[in-house]
Amino acid sequence: MSTKEKTGWIIGGIVIALYALFPIAWIVSLSLKSSADLNAGGFLPATGFSWDNYSLILTGSASDLFLPALRNSFGICLIATFISVFLSMFAAYAIARLDFPGKKFILGTALGVAIFPVISIVTPLFNLWRQIGLYDTWPGLIIPYLSLTLPLSIWTMSAFFREIPWEMEQAAQVDGATTWQAFRKVIVPLAAPGVFTTAIIAFFIAWNDFVYGISLTSTGASRPVPAALGLFSGASQFEDPTGAIAAAAVIVTIPVVILVLVFQRRIVAGLTNGAVKG
Amino acid sequence: MSTSTTAPPTGRTGASAPAQAPKKHISDRAKAERKLGWLLAGPALAVMLLVTAYPIAQAFYDSLFDYRLTDPENRSFTGLSNYLVVLTDQLWWQSVGVTLLITVVTVAVELVLGFGLALVMNKALKAIRPFLRAVILIPYAVITVVSAFAWQFAFDINTGFINSWFAWLPGVGADTDWFGDFGTSIFVVCLAEIWKTTPFISLLLLAGLAQVPEVLQEAAQVDGATWWQRMRRVTIPNMKAAIMVALLFRTLDAFRVFDSIFVMTAGANGTETVSFLAYRQTISRLEIGLGSAVSVLLFLSVVLIAFVFIKGFKVDLSQARGDS
Amino acid sequence: MPDSVVHTGRGRRSAASGRRARRALGATAAAVVLASGLAACGSGDSGVPQLDWYINPDSGGQAEIAARCTEAANGAYTISVSTLPRDSPSQREQLVRRLAANDSSIDIMSLDPPYIPEFAQAGFFAPMPAEVADEVTTDVVQSAIDGSTWDGELVTVPFWANTQLLWYRTSVAEAAGLDMTQPVTWDQLTQAAQDQQVRLGVQGIRSESLTVWLNALIESAGGSVIAENSTNPDDIQLGLDSEAGMRAAEVMRDISASGTGGPALSTANEDTTATDFEGDVGGFQVNYPFVYPRALGAVEAGTLDQSVVDDYGWALYPRVDADTETAPPYGGINLGVGAFSEHPDLAYDATRCITSTENQAYYFTSNGNPASDTAVYEDPEVLEAFPMAPTILESLELAVPRPQTPYYSEVSGGIQREYHPTAAIDPEQTPQDATELIQAVLRKDQLL
Repeated sequence: MSTKEKTGWIIGGIVIALYALFPIAWIVSLSLKSSADLNAGGFLPATGFSWDNYSLILTGSASDLFLPALRNSFGICLIATFISVFLSMFAAYAIARLDFPGKKFILGTALGVAIFPVISIVTPLFNLWRQIGLYDTWPGLIIPYLSLTLPLSIWTMSAFFREIPWEMEQAAQVDGATTWQAFRKVIVPLAAPGVFTTAIIAFFIAWNDFVYGISLTSTGASRPVPAALGLFSGASQFEDPTGAIAAAAVIVTIPVVILVLVFQRRIVAGLTNGAVKG
Repeated sequence: MSTSTTAPPTGRTGASAPAQAPKKHISDRAKAERKLGWLLAGPALAVMLLVTAYPIAQAFYDSLFDYRLTDPENRSFTGLSNYLVVLTDQLWWQSVGVTLLITVVTVAVELVLGFGLALVMNKALKAIRPFLRAVILIPYAVITVVSAFAWQFAFDINTGFINSWFAWLPGVGADTDWFGDFGTSIFVVCLAEIWKTTPFISLLLLAGLAQVPEVLQEAAQVDGATWWQRMRRVTIPNMKAAIMVALLFRTLDAFRVFDSIFVMTAGANGTETVSFLAYRQTISRLEIGLGSAVSVLLFLSVVLIAFVFIKGFKVDLSQARGDS
Repeated sequence: MPDSVVHTGRGRRSAASGRRARRALGATAAAVVLASGLAACGSGDSGVPQLDWYINPDSGGQAEIAARCTEAANGAYTISVSTLPRDSPSQREQLVRRLAANDSSIDIMSLDPPYIPEFAQAGFFAPMPAEVADEVTTDVVQSAIDGSTWDGELVTVPFWANTQLLWYRTSVAEAAGLDMTQPVTWDQLTQAAQDQQVRLGVQGIRSESLTVWLNALIESAGGSVIAENSTNPDDIQLGLDSEAGMRAAEVMRDISASGTGGPALSTANEDTTATDFEGDVGGFQVNYPFVYPRALGAVEAGTLDQSVVDDYGWALYPRVDADTETAPPYGGINLGVGAFSEHPDLAYDATRCITSTENQAYYFTSNGNPASDTAVYEDPEVLEAFPMAPTILESLELAVPRPQTPYYSEVSGGIQREYHPTAAIDPEQTPQDATELIQAVLRKDQLL
């Protein structure tokens, strides 16, 4: 490849990187502005970096709002991810390996649930939750989050499982391994990447939720971060909390960026179900 | 609502068939397998049905009543009159129009942009491919609400930098109030949506690109076809399934747009979308009956779109599923 | 998921309790919650009833008052606070939905006055003991009492009362030849702002702020948004289409057309208006008293020159017509006691403590939220922190609440839809359109 072409690719890469990272850079820059600088209209802080916004939400007056929300977001999303991966692991195994009527129905249902408008079911869920005491609790969010994460987990994982050479299990058994050994030594290592990838993507989906978060919670007992972003206040009732929102936005973006950077290859494979090589 | 929706598996047409059971004792084995299948898949199915089927049935039931949350004593059955109110209201049709506008604009731009990105990633140097992949995934992983705030603050007349950076463009100046009227508000909303979801489309298309047989490409090249001819005659027809699946999912996702509208305009200047309208009737106005009718209509619209795609455009989901 | 249950309990406690209470509760809270299931509220582990106070976000003043009153209660009860969303419509949404579910965890709530009738009509307030009603209305500004009343009965406890003043740059007013010791009209201000090429800051954003402005204009013109009130939505007669209503629409349109509201008038809220006023284009604005500590804070941070703040002047809200007394906006927060509270008597006791002269003075000076208790305005500390306190008091005596109706959010939502953006207002047509829309919405014949 000629140097000219190489330069071309590198420029192309830079353009794409700018496209993807620019808004992120902006919100980071905004979060580092001092309150006086917020309305100055520049991209970068004009008067130097200030950590005020971070101390406000981490240790200052907004920390009572933000820290519980952060804990809720992590806890609820992790549990929802775990449950949905756990349930769909069995479902995906059945879909990939077993022949039984209703397979199409299950996949079809997953598809239907995936395209479901969340807003349509929020009110009935709210009514039901307050009757059975799930309103503003962790399970009250975990259960609806399953409607977001389960369909995706089933689809992604069954596609992964289809690619597993299951006959190797029998081969191992022929070689003298017990059923359990064959499963543990052969199948688990083969299936683990798919399960793990599914978990990451499911976590993203749960982490992204907003409608359930604002509708089914009302206190720090269960309110997740996206819902809490709208609750910050400025120095007084009427002052805009731009800086606090920006800082909180940066903090909730850090975990997903780390996940992306570390597991980018798996995530792409998961999103496109192993169709991409390279 | 998540804009980072479920990715359907884009057809690996040659996906390995499930391991077949030996043909002996077929009825017994089949029975056992059937039982095991339901046992394993049943819980997931039950949970999915419980959290969606029950609420939508309840929403349909509620939509038949005149029911205000603060006034439960006067709840009364009114049949389909809530639907009549919604369907004869100009605001409903306006919201449908806005939603369709956002859907068409974002999906069209995303498709073109996503295709370009996919081509670049497909051809890019091996050395920078992982880097590009990581970078492109970041918008996908960012929370929609965070993206909406970032774009809103960027365009805001006080906190933003857009006005000072783009003052050289005709019509943009220090005084441009992007959220001051319909056109510019929708423009910013679409921009935020496009930024966030193009990566998703481009990854699906990248998967599709990988399915185009190299041989065909090379043959066309040998025949002296131009780049554009190869694109039109070979590449695109061969990845039609991937394109259609990406289109279907993004269209359904865009049609449910809520987070961005809620954060950026709160429905000002006629930017209400259908989801936002449903939210306002049930959550703000507390009119459970009327709001449920909007919700049910939104649900039916989504079903209709899916139906049109699957039947009309013959999106082959079974192929996408890989179990054809 | 026992994990989640434990956390649920902790979350509620820690968000809800003061620092001292947390230390005491911390370790045992989880166990208590586990034992009593998910709906653990009401009383603390030591048998001391715990009152949950749902507050609007502020700079920490209400949490501090809660701690002070917990101490003052001397073991009779403890108060813990939970924060509601930032804007008042969302605060109402959260509270209404919980109360409609007979939620017993809401003991005390900080309420924006316009929503009080809706809560009262739905039976969401515990009846107020007569002696409490007497005590909390003594020496209280009239607008706050009006705002706490529904159907002739005091249903909430007046806490702090907000009002908008007319803020001006003394230098600009002088240059324009305005005598600010005399009442000024909107027309005069628009003219002066145009002549001096400065802003006349108003809130034109599609939110409650717009209703606040329109209501003040109509009341100042001698009319009312609701001409004939009723608990039956079909019998509510609107006054938007009256002469006063048309005059108000005219003022709004003229200011928008003059360009003095700034280029972003249709998204201008209280904060952006205050930003403009601090800047080079600052001339006049109608806004709440927070603009004063806000400017002082900016001086302290070194981003605003002291001379700008020294240039600040204040007067009563502008008049619509020169000979009709002004009717400034009334806002603030009143305290409701939840109908399903397990300790309504203690909760009412607590509201007396919260709204004591001392605490209101503290809240005024520390958080910039003016008191409803007239005695506070004699406090030298208050007068020092807010030299405009006497003007605030005067304004509060004249202030008029927004339309009091259980259907307030429909009325306000309809107004916001038709009067926004203010540049598109047609004084002949808009009031009529808004009237028709609101009536149709109240009949449930139209979406909003």
